[in-house]
Amino acid sequence: MTETTTKHRIFLTGVALGLLLSPWAATAQDFDPAKTPWGDPDLRGHYLPGPYQALETPTSEWTPPEGTNRGQGAAFSRFFEPDPDAPARPRPARPDGPMIIDPPTGQVPFQPWAAEQRNEIMASQEQLEHLDPRVKCLPAAFPRAHLPVGYNTYQIEQGPGFVLMLYEWNHHSRYIPLDGSEHIDPALRLGMGDSRGRWDGNTLVVETRNFTDNTWPVGHGAPPEGAPGSALTTGHGVFHSGNLRVVEEFTFLDADTIQYTATLEDPEVFSQPWTLRYNALQRAPEDHMLFEYACHEGNGRNLSLMTGTAVEAGRVHPIP
Amino acid sequence: MISLRTAALLVAAVTLGSGPSYGQTYDGPRTPDGRPDLSGIWQVLGSAAWDLEAHNAQDGIPAGFSVVDGGTIPYTVDALNQRDRNRANRLTDDPVRRCYLPGVPRITYMPWPFRIVQTPDHLVLSYEYAHSLRIVYTDGSPHPLPNDFWMGDSRGHWDGDALVIDTTHFNGQTWLDASGNHHSSELHVVERFTPVTPYHINYEVTLEDPQTYTRAWTMRMPLYKRMEEGLRLLDYDCVDHLLNALVKDGETR
Repeated sequence: MTETTTKHRIFLTGVALGLLLSPWAATAQDFDPAKTPWGDPDLRGHYLPGPYQALETPTSEWTPPEGTNRGQGAAFSRFFEPDPDAPARPRPARPDGPMIIDPPTGQVPFQPWAAEQRNEIMASQEQLEHLDPRVKCLPAAFPRAHLPVGYNTYQIEQGPGFVLMLYEWNHHSRYIPLDGSEHIDPALRLGMGDSRGRWDGNTLVVETRNFTDNTWPVGHGAPPEGAPGSALTTGHGVFHSGNLRVVEEFTFLDADTIQYTATLEDPEVFSQPWTLRYNALQRAPEDHMLFEYACHEGNGRNLSLMTGTAVEAGRVHPIP
Repeated sequence: MISLRTAALLVAAVTLGSGPSYGQTYDGPRTPDGRPDLSGIWQVLGSAAWDLEAHNAQDGIPAGFSVVDGGTIPYTVDALNQRDRNRANRLTDDPVRRCYLPGVPRITYMPWPFRIVQTPDHLVLSYEYAHSLRIVYTDGSPHPLPNDFWMGDSRGHWDGDALVIDTTHFNGQTWLDASGNHHSSELHVVERFTPVTPYHINYEVTLEDPQTYTRAWTMRMPLYKRMEEGLRLLDYDCVDHLLNALVKDGETR
């Protein structure tokens, strides 16, 4: 390597560091993402979830027993341990601090009755009725479908007037019209809600309503055994009513990272709207593809063990 | 050995079969790359979901013509016996009644709509029933790892104006309808979607499975475009209904 090249590299590194450290460092507002042939920011591609991050600031003194996986898919984490033979894939550093940026306490602003109910739900996780809906293979809803779990990945399709997001976990998808159309009849309820989107500059803004009332809008994998709701930093037991309204923003920070901001409003359950933000989507390596994640198919015995309910005995399909 | 003349005719036939739309009737929308644009919400009408073969009405089941070429599925003797056992126990043994993914091609003709989103190198088929998904690569990529899947692994290509999807890698735990018609994990499905008008597609499926059938056989039916303005896929979350029924029945402790 010639001296000139070395100097050149040092100079470039210096410029890069300067950019990173300067107040003008790239922000959500000034990165200009690639555009589709029809002129919208191009979201198309495959993405991995961002790094684990606590949802809330913990509110209790309870500490998980030694060796406990802190609600990050404890039941599954061993199964999903990285393949030692797989090529190393860069993972961003795990950030400190909670995802919740508003209110500044970093906690879900429950109404008092709802905070009590959350603790009750967390104390009743052996009952099928209260068990984490995601453990039951019910829809993840939003923003949960974009919160970090090791067994979800994303594929985004896009065309003039729509964005289609595919979720590997439990083969969910949502079709987001960008045509200014109205939400569907409030009588209609969907596990993943009814989403309508629009572009605000380079940011995709999605409003979702028409939710059912039997999902948790946040929460990761399985909670540590015996943990009271107030001790968790994973969003477990955070229920909502059918009046939940979620506004999400997807913004490229750089070509490979999408910052995700979600504001949740539900006047029946929360004392104020609240907002979480984190880097939810990291562009996946080129060879990535979504595999089939058949959730319930292998889950009946699991649920029976957890709740004592003979799930496999259930037969409900309307085809006679 | 074939003569030059025969070879030339064969080449001509292949070229005509896979060429542009000359002589074909499809005059519907096309994508920028010239393929028929299959985007939209589609649904099968008929009663194939209940029974692929000809059947009379039963309580809650509409009667229907056979959608199978030749009328009946060419089962081996053992497989026919299995079908009859399945049929006798269908209210408990049908995997769909346990809310398991329905497999291919059953998902297509279940009485729920599905959406096709089309790109130059893959298609996404999303189904209202159990929010099932199929991602069909049309980029020439081969079937992948030796995994098996409830919905199989689908790879597609265009044959002129027809979309042809080849699906293998099944787990052998799905049925073809609610009457016990079945297959093994060796099933090889070739679906042919031939758009005829902007509003309907001829759907033709050939199934090959030497463990179960004495020969390859074909079913066919139209797919109809759903034309309602503002239509979108809604929910049929089978698992939700199943678990709710358990909670209501007081079967939980």
